[in-house]
Amino acid sequence: MIPKKPAPGLPRGGDRFSEKIMLKKDTAKLAVTALDKRFDALEALRGIDLAVAPGEFISLVGPSGCGKTTFLRIVAGLEQATSGRVLIDGRLVSRPGHDRGFVFQNDSLLPWRTVLGNAMIGPEVAGSAGPAARRRTLELLKLVGLAGFESYYPRQLSGGMRQRVNLARALAIDPDILLMDEPFSALDAQTREIMQTELLRIWEQGRKTVLFVTHQIDEAVFLSDRVLVFARRPGRVQDSVDVTLARPRELDIKRTPEFVRYVDRIWRLIEDDVRASVIEEHA
Amino acid sequence: MTMAATGIEEKTAPPRAAARRVGAALRRTHLAGLVSVACGLALWEVISRFVVANPLFLAAPSQIFAAVVSLAASGELGHHMAVSGLEFIIGYVIASLIGIALGLAMASSVLAKQVTQPWVSGLYATPTIALAPLFILWFGIGIASKVLVVITLVLFPVTINTEAGLRTTSPRLVEMLRSFGATPRQIFLKVSLPSATPFILAGLKLGIGRGLIAVVVAELFGSRAGLGRLISQSADAFNMPELFAGVVVLAAAGIAMTAGFGWLESRLVPWTRD
Repeated sequence: MIPKKPAPGLPRGGDRFSEKIMLKKDTAKLAVTALDKRFDALEALRGIDLAVAPGEFISLVGPSGCGKTTFLRIVAGLEQATSGRVLIDGRLVSRPGHDRGFVFQNDSLLPWRTVLGNAMIGPEVAGSAGPAARRRTLELLKLVGLAGFESYYPRQLSGGMRQRVNLARALAIDPDILLMDEPFSALDAQTREIMQTELLRIWEQGRKTVLFVTHQIDEAVFLSDRVLVFARRPGRVQDSVDVTLARPRELDIKRTPEFVRYVDRIWRLIEDDVRASVIEEHA
Repeated sequence: MTMAATGIEEKTAPPRAAARRVGAALRRTHLAGLVSVACGLALWEVISRFVVANPLFLAAPSQIFAAVVSLAASGELGHHMAVSGLEFIIGYVIASLIGIALGLAMASSVLAKQVTQPWVSGLYATPTIALAPLFILWFGIGIASKVLVVITLVLFPVTINTEAGLRTTSPRLVEMLRSFGATPRQIFLKVSLPSATPFILAGLKLGIGRGLIAVVVAELFGSRAGLGRLISQSADAFNMPELFAGVVVLAAAGIAMTAGFGWLESRLVPWTRD
């Protein structure tokens, strides 16, 4: 393991934020400790500390290149951390497992499988694709609003419907933690808003722990109990904003002053970073 | 133009709409294709009877048909077809099996690919049919030399397509399966193989035409029986109806096998249909 050096100019431990995390880590569903990730010369993530309570809905926002997707992939076990630990229920994880379900940005549906066939892939891989799993998956497809579409092929579905399959597929393994990587980013604005309310409705049924990566601040505020604001160069958690808006939430909450204040506050936190990344991308 | 979809309105629809409906019906029934073939045959018949009018150079479709019937009745055609068919099937099956296996090996091992790639690419580009006389010299005018020629022509398109199909497997889909904790074996069976199947089938389809060419050309170089033998025999005797009879049977076999493959594709890889 590579010895950890505190980042110059970045507080490490002892501050208010870290203390809160330490207290929570014993009871956390997901606990991340001092996680670093380097891609050769590029320092993608530095010193990520995080404790997520069971049933908590957390969003990760930040400018392009802040490492939020890399972080999600490390938690999923699709990527290895350079150093640091990821614990789920106190158990160290380094590989994909059925305690986590991943919802992909592009739907990644298998074109040769029907909706049901796609949703059953998790149980199939686990060798538990019996009639019980099939019944449960059919139930899930109904839950995500795809009743009657079980035998359709992906090419016959709209973008929104494909993302519903994507979600049902992740839920079909009944994971403890749902990891969602900008799942609605390819959808048009209206479909996106509908999918946000749908996601909350589905989440209210089982209250799984969710890590949700997004570019869209209003999406993060609308969905989450807590928004982690990532900064770039190196990728790190800059701040954590608790969202105390009452649940269940409906779309009209987005027009309340309280909601707008949250969005404003988070935007101000990342504004400089976003501007810098935009300029860089155009340079 | 507004057009209500009621029976009464349709009957009194303007002529342009009627013409359009006839066009649609034509497309639906593929009638245009049948008419085209019928016209082509009629033209051929006329040309060979009245324009060329030389039985040593051209046979009319009616004469060809008669030749097919008489050859079939005498059992001669059946014998030629059986010999050519056997050569084709043995060669084609062997080439398919080896081709798919080779493609799998090339896709799964960098070393295997580096070792075989120059041979496969080189031999695919080479008109290996030119080796037919050599094979006949080595293995005689019997069935073995023909089978070998079929193999050399069918093997490489199958290999190349299998390898390409496996190589172009979407990394996103592989990653998706990996996120569910799939083993490499599961990834192969559930993602790589199904996504390569359309490519493999396309390679096998390509192999049908090449295999038929291989059989006929190899038989032309030296054989005791077979459709190629029938054709060369007839050419030597200036028996145009029987020469064309051989060609027509080969064409029919090619069309039937390709159509059968189309059906197989629609069953095995329905997701590639538009």
